[in-house]
Amino acid sequence: MMFRIRELCRPLSPGAQCRPGQPRFEGPLGAAIETGRTRLLVLGGLFFLAFALVGGRLVDVTLLKPAADPKRNVARAAADPDAAREFFRGEIADAKGELLATNIVTWSLYADPKMILDPAATAARLVRLFPELDRKELAEKLKPSDKRFVWLRRHLTPKEYQEVIAEGLPGIGARKDRRRVYPHGSLGAHVVGYADIDNHGIAGVERQFDGRLKRGERIQLSLDLRVQHVLREELAAAVKRHHAIGAMGVILDVHTGETKALVSLPEFDPHEPGRASEEGRFNRVTLGTYEMGSTFKILNTAMALDSSVATLTKVYDARFPLKHGKFTINDYHGKGRALSVTEIFQFSSNIGSAKMAIEAGTPRQRAFMGRAGMLKPVSIELPEIGAPLYPRDWKPLNTITISYGHGISVTPLHLAAAVAGIVNDGKRAPVTLVKRDPKEPIPYVPVVNSKTSAEMRQLMRLVVEKGTGKRAEAPGYFVGGKTGTADKSAGKKGYRRNTRISSFVAAFPMNAPRYVVLVMIDEPKASADTPEATGGAVAAPVVREVVLKAAPLLGVLPAENTSELTDEKRPGQKAPAKPPAKPAAKPAPPAAGRLERAATE
Amino acid sequence: MSLLTARAAPPSVFERVRSIHWLLVLCIAAVAAIGCVLLYSAGGGNFKPWADKQIQRFAVGFVLMMATALLPLRVWFKLAIPIYLGSVALLVLVEFAGRHGKGAVRWVDLGFVSLQPSELVKVALVLALARYFQRLKFENIGKIWALLVPVGMAVIPAGLVLKQPDLGTATILLAIAGFVLFMAGVRVWKFAVVIAVAAAAAPFAYNKLHDYQKERLLTFLDPERDPLGSGYHIIQSKIAFGSGGLLGKGFLEGTQIRLNFLPEFHTDFVLSVLAEEFGLVGGIVLLAIYLAILFITLAIAFRARTQFARLVSGGMAATLFLHIVINMAMVMGALPVVGVPLPLVSYGGTAMFTLMIGFGLVLSAHIYRNERLGGKLLDDD
Repeated sequence: MMFRIRELCRPLSPGAQCRPGQPRFEGPLGAAIETGRTRLLVLGGLFFLAFALVGGRLVDVTLLKPAADPKRNVARAAADPDAAREFFRGEIADAKGELLATNIVTWSLYADPKMILDPAATAARLVRLFPELDRKELAEKLKPSDKRFVWLRRHLTPKEYQEVIAEGLPGIGARKDRRRVYPHGSLGAHVVGYADIDNHGIAGVERQFDGRLKRGERIQLSLDLRVQHVLREELAAAVKRHHAIGAMGVILDVHTGETKALVSLPEFDPHEPGRASEEGRFNRVTLGTYEMGSTFKILNTAMALDSSVATLTKVYDARFPLKHGKFTINDYHGKGRALSVTEIFQFSSNIGSAKMAIEAGTPRQRAFMGRAGMLKPVSIELPEIGAPLYPRDWKPLNTITISYGHGISVTPLHLAAAVAGIVNDGKRAPVTLVKRDPKEPIPYVPVVNSKTSAEMRQLMRLVVEKGTGKRAEAPGYFVGGKTGTADKSAGKKGYRRNTRISSFVAAFPMNAPRYVVLVMIDEPKASADTPEATGGAVAAPVVREVVLKAAPLLGVLPAENTSELTDEKRPGQKAPAKPPAKPAAKPAPPAAGRLERAATE
Repeated sequence: MSLLTARAAPPSVFERVRSIHWLLVLCIAAVAAIGCVLLYSAGGGNFKPWADKQIQRFAVGFVLMMATALLPLRVWFKLAIPIYLGSVALLVLVEFAGRHGKGAVRWVDLGFVSLQPSELVKVALVLALARYFQRLKFENIGKIWALLVPVGMAVIPAGLVLKQPDLGTATILLAIAGFVLFMAGVRVWKFAVVIAVAAAAAPFAYNKLHDYQKERLLTFLDPERDPLGSGYHIIQSKIAFGSGGLLGKGFLEGTQIRLNFLPEFHTDFVLSVLAEEFGLVGGIVLLAIYLAILFITLAIAFRARTQFARLVSGGMAATLFLHIVINMAMVMGALPVVGVPLPLVSYGGTAMFTLMIGFGLVLSAHIYRNERLGGKLLDDD
């Protein structure tokens, strides 16, 4: 139906308007338009009223009630770092409160090109003060343009600042700036990371907690700088001694999962990350993934024991190489006889380990690796985290190689965290870099049961007492562990026989483990001292030195009555005395390390 | 009968461009220019990192606005429901594929651009409601059933936004719908009932708020109770206003900004930059331009001959009004901090684009003020 609309006011042209208030329409549709227009007028009134209120408030806050003096803020920013949370980036400290990253106030030189009278002359005088600046480039920057601000040089020293001001150049000024400073330089640089010139976090904790740091929050890490120093020094010495290309080490608190030290060599200076090499900035402990080799037998043996597939005394035939398709698994220096589970672990037999894994079966192995955290990235508070590499299609051959640590690549941190869980009564604490609140409960993940944990502790102790890891023995600290020597993978071409990673993963004291120490030396070269650059010969002595020096700092004291293997009494063990760099008194155990070797050809 | 035979829209593009409401365009450009100046200042006297992007966005927005304006209004009438459904779908998408920003999921990444669908849905809601009331016979406006669809249209996106969680935008969506319903002629007593029920339900709703939202409400009542936490923004913002005085400290001279005492000064708290550097006078000038835009938009609504054109223009006026008043009141400590940007001034892409498209619709409503939709001046079928 159609309504007839009679317009009472007839505008001459579409643009012309009727006087408001004048009735214009009749009928229901007219009512619609009338209602709509009335309400628009009401709305207009409401808008005006609200704006009047907002305007009144504006007068109120700008003129009548100055809430506080902004000068106070300016003064506070300079005097009290707490008040200027937005001005200063938060500090990073270690577990004892030692500063790892802080700020200093500097002056930064800028120019207002509009105010510069003679760009060439100004540039010349600036270059006299700062010879490293390029004169042409500088003159270009100073040329009159619509820019009112250009940085010339950031972070002057007080002396430089004085000299520039004394020059009295028009258009050149200095602005208060803040600069990130790492008091300990490269020590812990892979953990702390670094921030750029404008104080944005680029790597490490600086990046991970960038938001909180920018808000001025202080981050306290679990790292103990003294322990970090010990680990770094010992690893650096080993790299030098064995002409290695790098090293990694980590010390974890097995109860809390706290990282006490984390070292990746080579390292870099966080003040000048741009100058560091790619390898230097690379965090091998959390980002690099490696085939771990025989240290993985800790996981394999724990799996077999925990699932009751094996017992410590169960015997496996390790007389003959194990054939699987075209692959043959050898023991490097086999015993040529049947071995018990204890002996398989002690002498690091690949054949025995493989047979245990086959008996347990692929699903069980895979499930165990999952529980041990080997199939997911470690959830540590760093942006540089490596994902493990493992076969998507887990075939029997993979089961065999994984039993002795090949065919699966994980980060060193993965291994350390899993071992910490196994020795800590089978309960794995999530790894963290941040100091834990003792009141907060730790969400443990069960890896093995108590009985298996106790058996594994015995086995690991045995390796140091009588097996491949004798050189790790630190009298009084009941060190236990496992050696590993992995040939480095060369991609599709198989393995390179002469480039290897020698490692030792240890826990101490073995009667009630407190800490896990993992040491890995990348490509150590054989020498007269160490004809075979194996885990037992290269990495185990490093662990010994680290334990001797770091244990007292970590609050672990040596037992008076040390193990029967110890023939020397070490005076002054509580203080980190300087022991000889090499365990000279000890004769090299004859076949130590040579018993193990991953051979997957 | 002269009305029914009135000439349809100007046919040629040239005529359409000529009949664009250039005063409105000028006012919009003026506000955007003020925004760019403030962002330049907030960047420490640099185009980076904000001013240059904001200028680019305004340029793109300007093109969008003009394109929207030059399309016949009936095209938008036809597209209203698809646009509304599309933006609600995007809101749902945020639920599953959204990107987190400051603790809430509000962005969706379309590959080439990051969108904040909660901004988009504001204009879409206005369009959809306007279309609904255009089709509704006026004698049915008093019936309760006639309100079920429009209320649903508003409540669904508001609920989705609330889930993100974004209390401010959800409230604004409901308020926009309220304004449109009011302009459509819904009886006043019904609004009174809804407001009364909402007031009664408020204490229960308070218990369902997130902790940070409760915190903001409490801080609004007393900013000093947490001067370094929730109250920090309001206190520092008020200091900026107070230090501006009548004429301000001058361009690039604001210490509150230079010393980073105001962390969000380029987004929601951009007004405090204006107040500190240009004082009360600067604030009043901005308010005056805003008011001019509002009144021009209302005048266009007043003159429109279809319910759709009237409600689209009126709805955009309401949207703009709500943002301005809530943002300003919030920054000056007269409302809780709810995260509402200052239209055309605050740094932000989606908000700028949607607002410009909205004004394109208003301009289109002006150009086609005499046009009928679907062949009849007032659809009554």
